[in-house]
This record gives sequence, structure tokens and C-alpha cells, in this order.
Amino acid sequence: MNRNIVTAAKAAMAMGLLVGLNACASSADPHAMALSTPATPDAKPFPPPLMHAMCVRSVTGGEETNPMWVSKVDNNGFKSALVTSLDSASLLSAADATTCPFPIDVNLLGLSQPSMGFDMTVTSHVNYKVFDAGGSPFLLATIDAPYTAKMSEAFAGVERLKKANEGSIRTSIQQFFDKLRDSNPK
Amino acid sequence: MFSKSLLLACALVLCGCAARQVTPIAMSQPGDDALTCDQLGAQMAANGVSEADYRKQDKQVENGNIAKGIGSAAPFVGPIIAGSTDLSNEEQVKARSLADRNEQLKYLAKQKGCTK
Repeated sequence: MNRNIVTAAKAAMAMGLLVGLNACASSADPHAMALSTPATPDAKPFPPPLMHAMCVRSVTGGEETNPMWVSKVDNNGFKSALVTSLDSASLLSAADATTCPFPIDVNLLGLSQPSMGFDMTVTSHVNYKVFDAGGSPFLLATIDAPYTAKMSEAFAGVERLKKANEGSIRTSIQQFFDKLRDSNPK
Repeated sequence: MFSKSLLLACALVLCGCAARQVTPIAMSQPGDDALTCDQLGAQMAANGVSEADYRKQDKQVENGNIAKGIGSAAPFVGPIIAGSTDLSNEEQVKARSLADRNEQLKYLAKQKGCTK
């Protein structure tokens, strides 16, 4: 009898732990995906033609998060993060997306996520397409950006996966900015 | 016995479910400018076939994941089933990257005045 109670209690604890680790998933936070701090003073400056001349025309490929499944990155969240990042780097144009000199189209190819684990590494795969005023592509960048969220960042698995998604997009935007710094716009 | 089995199952699940390494096809590749119209056409055709194949495979993986999601509610073996879910999105990433690659090849073909 006692043994059955102990077994049932252990099973309940295991279930409770699993439920705790797999609580409702929520979408990635745009603020957490954005680069909000300016580049370090020794960072290479952006080419002058890009300053206050860029805008995000479209973001595609994102997915809405199903609370019963896993955290994802949606188009609006990604767009908001990229716009905030461009603004903090003084790259954002005051003109709208149809008239700004260097519009950007983003295609989120997908997120490679672990199904579970202690340290969770998510890799985002993103195509950034930057066009010049004439409509020709001047920078086409395919960026794979991994980020590992450690157990110390969040105990619950769904929260850790969300943080890994956010970190991966932040890293992706950082790498995109590095490519912009190395570009040669006319 | 139960505790040991549970621990073993958890350890197996947690160690074996990292995402697969996925490498998309780059939109722009070295040597693109040197491609002839015939080469551009051949690459676009091959990419189109591969893209369709990856989209088909992606659908299969998605359906498999739905089944695993349901199976993960099963007692005891649930975590093992959940751990086998494929969230690498390899097929989707490759299909979408091939579509973008073809868009760039189409642009290059237009720039070169290719007729087909």
C-alpha cells in the first residue's frame, strides 16, 4: 500500500516537473531581440550613405507562437526589433518604406531549435536583402546565428527556448550590421 | 527501479535532442557574375526541383511532429517521444533558401538579357 503511494507520488512529481518545464509558450519579445546599445567606440563605422537612410520594407517567414507548442518569432516582432536596432545605430530613415533610399526585405528562413535540453542552442537562418535607390540589390546576406541559453538564464524549458530565440535574432542582427559596416554603397 | 528508469529516460532525452546542423543555400555566391545564361537556367531548374522536394519532406516532418506532440502526453514514454520531435526545420530552411536563391538568379539572368 505504502509502496503504491510512494510510486504514485513520484509519478506525480515527475509529471509536475514536466508540466513546469513545458509551461505555455510565448512569442519572442521584440525588445529582447533588438540591439539597443550603441556599438563600442572602436567598432568600424557604418558607410556614410547608409546613415539615416535605411528602412524595413518587409519581413516574411516568421511564425505565430502556439501556446501549447514552442516559442517562435513572428514577423511583426522581428520587424520591430530590426527597426529599433536600426534606429539605435542611427541608420533608420525618416522616409517611409516605399521611398527610403535603402529598403530592407527580410526572409526568416527558419529557426533550428532543440526539442529539449539543459543548455538550449537555437540557430536562426535569415536572408537580409538590401536594395539601393534604383531597386538593385546591393547587399544580399544569408546569416546563420546560433545562441545558447543556459539553465542559469531560465529554469523553465519554454522560457529558456524563448531566450535562445531572442538571443539568436539579436546575434543575427549584429552580424547583419557587421556586413553593413563592410559594405560599399554608392 | 522506477526512479532509475525515469532518470535514464530523462538523461537520454536531454542528451539526444539538440537541433541538427542546418546550412541554407546562400542567395549570393562567389562566381555568380560569371555564370552564362545556360548555366543560370540549369541552376534555376535544378533548384526548383530541389525546392519542391524539400517542401514535400517538410510537410512529412511537420505531420510527424504533430503525431509526436500527441504521443508526448503518454505516461513514462512521453518524454522520449517529445525528445524525438524534429524542430531543426532543415527542410523548410533549405526550401525557402532555394526560392530566394532562384530569385537572385532570375535577377542576374535579366541583367544579362537572357531570353529564357
